Amino acid sequence: MSIEVKDVTFRYAPGTPLETTALEGISLSINKGEFVLISGAIGSGKSTLIRHLNGLLRPSSGQVTVDGIAAHGKKVKAKVGVLFQFPHQQLFGRTVFEDVAFGPGNFGLRNPELEKHVHDALEMLGLSQGICPISPFSLSGGQKRLVAIAGVLASRPDYIVLDEPLSGLDVGHKKSLLSALQLLSSKGTSVVVVSHQVSDLLSVAQRVFLLDRGSLVFSGTPAEYVRHSPPSMPEINFLMKELRSRGFDVRDDAFGIDDAFSEITRVLGLKGAVEE
Amino acid sequence: MNTLLFRYVPGNSFLHRLDPRVKITGMMIVSISIFMSSSLRQLASVALIFFLLLLVSSISPKIIFDAVRPMLLFLAVILILQFFLMDGEPVFYIMGHDATYEGLRHGVLLTLRFLFLLMFASLLTATTTPSLVTVGMERMLRPLPLRKLGISSFDLATMVFLSLHFVPFLYGSFSHLRDAQISRGLDMRRNPFGAVYSLSVPMVRIAITSAEEVAVAMESRCYQGGHRSSLHAPVLQKKDLAALLAFSILVLALV
Repeated sequence: MSIEVKDVTFRYAPGTPLETTALEGISLSINKGEFVLISGAIGSGKSTLIRHLNGLLRPSSGQVTVDGIAAHGKKVKAKVGVLFQFPHQQLFGRTVFEDVAFGPGNFGLRNPELEKHVHDALEMLGLSQGICPISPFSLSGGQKRLVAIAGVLASRPDYIVLDEPLSGLDVGHKKSLLSALQLLSSKGTSVVVVSHQVSDLLSVAQRVFLLDRGSLVFSGTPAEYVRHSPPSMPEINFLMKELRSRGFDVRDDAFGIDDAFSEITRVLGLKGAVEE
Repeated sequence: MNTLLFRYVPGNSFLHRLDPRVKITGMMIVSISIFMSSSLRQLASVALIFFLLLLVSSISPKIIFDAVRPMLLFLAVILILQFFLMDGEPVFYIMGHDATYEGLRHGVLLTLRFLFLLMFASLLTATTTPSLVTVGMERMLRPLPLRKLGISSFDLATMVFLSLHFVPFLYGSFSHLRDAQISRGLDMRRNPFGAVYSLSVPMVRIAITSAEEVAVAMESRCYQGGHRSSLHAPVLQKKDLAALLAFSILVLALV
């Protein structure tokens, strides 16, 4: 049970002067229940890659299979839920409920299960049930994004792919989204987050892929990723590297403020602070 | 997203280097002759002229086809309506409607006219950068006493430029949105009503918000329609005038 991407190359506008190779010989696999981060600079092919994972684009060469099935066709769209960038733009329903129920309804779910799926998805993201009869257009930007994410979660896909899901969310919403995703992955749903900003995600991801100009240049654990000194390294890890180079024996693969804080206090022998 | 719809395609052909005013005038001449033509023979001449220009421009036919493709459904509807709703000699019956020979002829002529207009327009935009189209248009409108109507040639040119700019932009947003809704299980064939509803509502919002954003962005950079200098100052050369003359004669002679 996995998504297998085998030697995929993709070109836009083949045979014209505007032809561009967006992906070049990409091979990777995403296993069941895994939390994967796909990172890379803007224009490195991240968005093109995820359009292959549920068959919106067909590779120019190579192949993508989901649980052994070729990735185009409606069956795969029910297995792989994708949330694109600017998700607030996809809302159209008269009520939040109608909008969130659009996906699962299309995949053949009917009441009362439909209602349960919608309520569960909203609850998972910390949205109250009172939001259901409201028009999605009257919500704030951050809430619109969460409703759009709920619209993907409500279909209960086996794989969920999110393109820049954290942009436009405040700290509180970021935390609740990340813990919802972690919960999903611990229950067996694969989570793929695509982002060029990795600092919030390294502490939750199990594996990291780095794309550069259409090629896969790195794949490994978050700790290996940080040692690899990628161009988009979180500030914390710059700090840890700098401390190491000045003779402090801190781990250079600590992510997140809490982790780094306990490392520094450990090295400085400030025991009291660690216990906090 | 990469869309080829009415988009500039870099190149260095004769058509690319021609003065934009000549190309716009040529486009107008061709449009008029397309709408005056009333026989298939005349449209065949238009087709010949088009393919000659396409050859000169070294633009791939695929780009022209991509620009026309979204309109094909619309054109097919026009053709079918004409086929059945014109009076004349009946060919066969379907559901109490006569399909007439006159209807077919008329329908084919009408769709071909639209098709050629689109093809020439996409050739113009493929060989001319939007900013040159704007400059060309602005220069051509300048002698007209538009100021008395409370509008300047610069305003008009900016409006045209923005419309041109919005075609690929809106098409890009549309593909993005379509991808999102298909990923949520939208089946456009099985559920056409849902497709129209779930695509048109967000599209209208996107169009209005992005138009407003552009307006705010222009205003915050002190846009004034009054008089604007331009990056390009096209100069009509002998070869431009010669090309226009040759083209006009060609169109008049053939069509």
